[in-house]
Amino acid sequence: MKFLKLFVVAKKAGTVTRKYPFEEPLITEEFRGEIKIDPEKCVGCGACTLICPPSALTMRDEGNVRLIRYFVGRCIFCGMCAEVCPTNAITITKEFELATLDIDDLLRDLLHKRVKCRICGRPFLTTKLIKYANKDIPGSDNYADVCPECRSKLSIKNILKYRGDLDV
Amino acid sequence: MKNNDVKTLAKGSDKAVDMVLKLLKEKLSKYNVRISRAVANNLIVDVSRRHLRDVAKIVHNELGAYVRTCVGCDERNKNGCFAVYHIFGLDDYGVNVIVRTLAPANDVKVPSIADIAPGADWCELEFRDLLGINVTGRPVYRLILPEDWPDDLHPLRKDVPYGVRPPPVKREEVTLTELESPGIPVGPYHPALHEPEYFELYVEGETIIDVRYRGFHIHRGIEKLGESKLTYKQIPFIAERICGICGFCHSTCYVMAVEKAAKIEVPERAEFIRAIVLEIERIHSHLLWLGVACHLLGYDAGFMHTWRIREAIMKLAEYLTGSRKTYGINIIGGVRKDINKEKIQNVLKTLDHIEREVKELLDMMLSVPEVKRRLTGTGILTRGEARKLSVVGPVARASGLNRDVRKDYPYLAYKYVSFKVPVYTEGDNLSRTLVRVEEIFESISIIRQLLDRLPSGDIKVEKYEIEPDKVSTASVEAPRGEDIHFLITGKGRPYRWKVRAPTYQNIPALRPMLREQMLADAPITIASIDPCFSCTDRVIVIETRNGKVVSVKRINIVKLSRRRWPQNEVSKALRSS
Repeated sequence: MKFLKLFVVAKKAGTVTRKYPFEEPLITEEFRGEIKIDPEKCVGCGACTLICPPSALTMRDEGNVRLIRYFVGRCIFCGMCAEVCPTNAITITKEFELATLDIDDLLRDLLHKRVKCRICGRPFLTTKLIKYANKDIPGSDNYADVCPECRSKLSIKNILKYRGDLDV
Repeated sequence: MKNNDVKTLAKGSDKAVDMVLKLLKEKLSKYNVRISRAVANNLIVDVSRRHLRDVAKIVHNELGAYVRTCVGCDERNKNGCFAVYHIFGLDDYGVNVIVRTLAPANDVKVPSIADIAPGADWCELEFRDLLGINVTGRPVYRLILPEDWPDDLHPLRKDVPYGVRPPPVKREEVTLTELESPGIPVGPYHPALHEPEYFELYVEGETIIDVRYRGFHIHRGIEKLGESKLTYKQIPFIAERICGICGFCHSTCYVMAVEKAAKIEVPERAEFIRAIVLEIERIHSHLLWLGVACHLLGYDAGFMHTWRIREAIMKLAEYLTGSRKTYGINIIGGVRKDINKEKIQNVLKTLDHIEREVKELLDMMLSVPEVKRRLTGTGILTRGEARKLSVVGPVARASGLNRDVRKDYPYLAYKYVSFKVPVYTEGDNLSRTLVRVEEIFESISIIRQLLDRLPSGDIKVEKYEIEPDKVSTASVEAPRGEDIHFLITGKGRPYRWKVRAPTYQNIPALRPMLREQMLADAPITIASIDPCFSCTDRVIVIETRNGKVVSVKRINIVKLSRRRWPQNEVSKALRSS
């Protein structure tokens, strides 16, 4: 007759289900949901796109523009991007009700302006990234608006000039 | 005397490895073998194809090693050969013996050892399918690839790019005669099963006389993906998605294999946190299983209440890791989320509550006469069969084999805690249930001990280098048994990554378990190994056009049932009522 104790167990437990979505969902304070990128803080370095395990965050350079795209459909909500972001632009929200009928609703795009190389005129890094780098590395502004290729040429030239091996 | 030596030995230690090395040298002196040490507790025995069977006989039968898995590998760009790694585990020493055999690319075949070690049956067929390494001396058939996949395309070969989708090959239609298929098809989609797999039960009256299994409907190509697209750092996250229930075991297993290969010293605190989360996963998995078992036995009240209690564990997991499932806290070198004092208090409080509730409920549940009667004496797996098939986890422990990776191949923080490994000898469904019930309480006690002794310090190391061409293995005791990940490191990503989930080793045991059973006991017996087909199948999504075969069988059943109840008799019976 021990099995009749079920009634006691059931009575003690009471109702445990919730009238979701009319009531608050049962999530804890540690829950990881959709990420939010703060366009003010983001410098467009692309660290998040490199670490993202499912490639939900991608980066594309086109002309004068750098596109950081977050596709929620691929996101696994691991939050690795928020950990690597140098400017803490990425925050993890508790948002998880993301189902939609239109796939475009799942795309979050962020556009950055790119700087043109002072020497060859080709666009390379974003304006904000260069500003950010200059803030942390003093004395780098001499080379800041030069693309990596021209920069190496320029610095070799400068060294040679300093040593007097080159007649300029 | 020798036994005493073994008993006092720290399993998996350098001393144990040296002892096994000496033992192997002695036993294998007759054959031309080269024995070398690999990373951690692994020994590699290089043997020619001629002596493979002899070596397997000695290692499996004389040394009493279990088959853990075997792995095929395309090493043509390294040494012009295909390699086969048979991994044996010496549970007494905690040492893996990896027997490596090379087959040159122009003569790709190796002798089978499935008759010596039946546990190697499936994995031999697996490398035959995926790498085209032929196995001689045994019946072969297609196990993993679908029927309409071309014969000469082997997806895991290095010259086959990722994502190849060949047009389906048309085969002659299979029409089975009535005599050939008196089977009752269960699956691929069936209310008694929760994942796609296909069992064919051959019956005489109500008694099952034989079973045929066709699985791998959800082979997803994860190994190929890991070897050709992803990086070392991305794989923990996809490894976590191999299984929806014991995902953390897979990601831990993978990161441990990499850490062993690269000799990364993981901080102790990270090892503790991983072990805590693994035990939380075990509790939720066992509660889930108990609920499903009750459901299959028609005792839905038990199902509802076990799942109600499980919900508290799921929330606990979310509280500690940030997600109910697919925790995403494992990275190579440690974990991402720390446990603070406040969390420890809250976890302990919840555990007390859960322990009380589980005790009360399970005590009552197992006293229900119907539940007891349906579980007792059904689905018996004898110790001999269990040993022969190298079964793992609760299935092995219910059949009298004292096997537990946490004890036999110590990993993470398990060496700092004391716990009991429940072993039953009856081998029936009830013992498998009781093993799981006891493990729930053991896990709760393990978590308490770990939280109590949680050391301070870092939770991850960030700087490391992974050298290529290292062979490494790691295993974790998942709720269903032993997970094993085999890894050969490459540049930027694994050269070969093989995953063996516990169900892979346990499904072949269903055949002896189901024979001579009543048909009605089949669902609970199949469920009693806690099958997890997603992790067993792993690899490519391709539509198999087996629909015809199944529909033929359905017609057969209808025919059969009509024969047993001829139409006129049915109408007569109806009229008389």
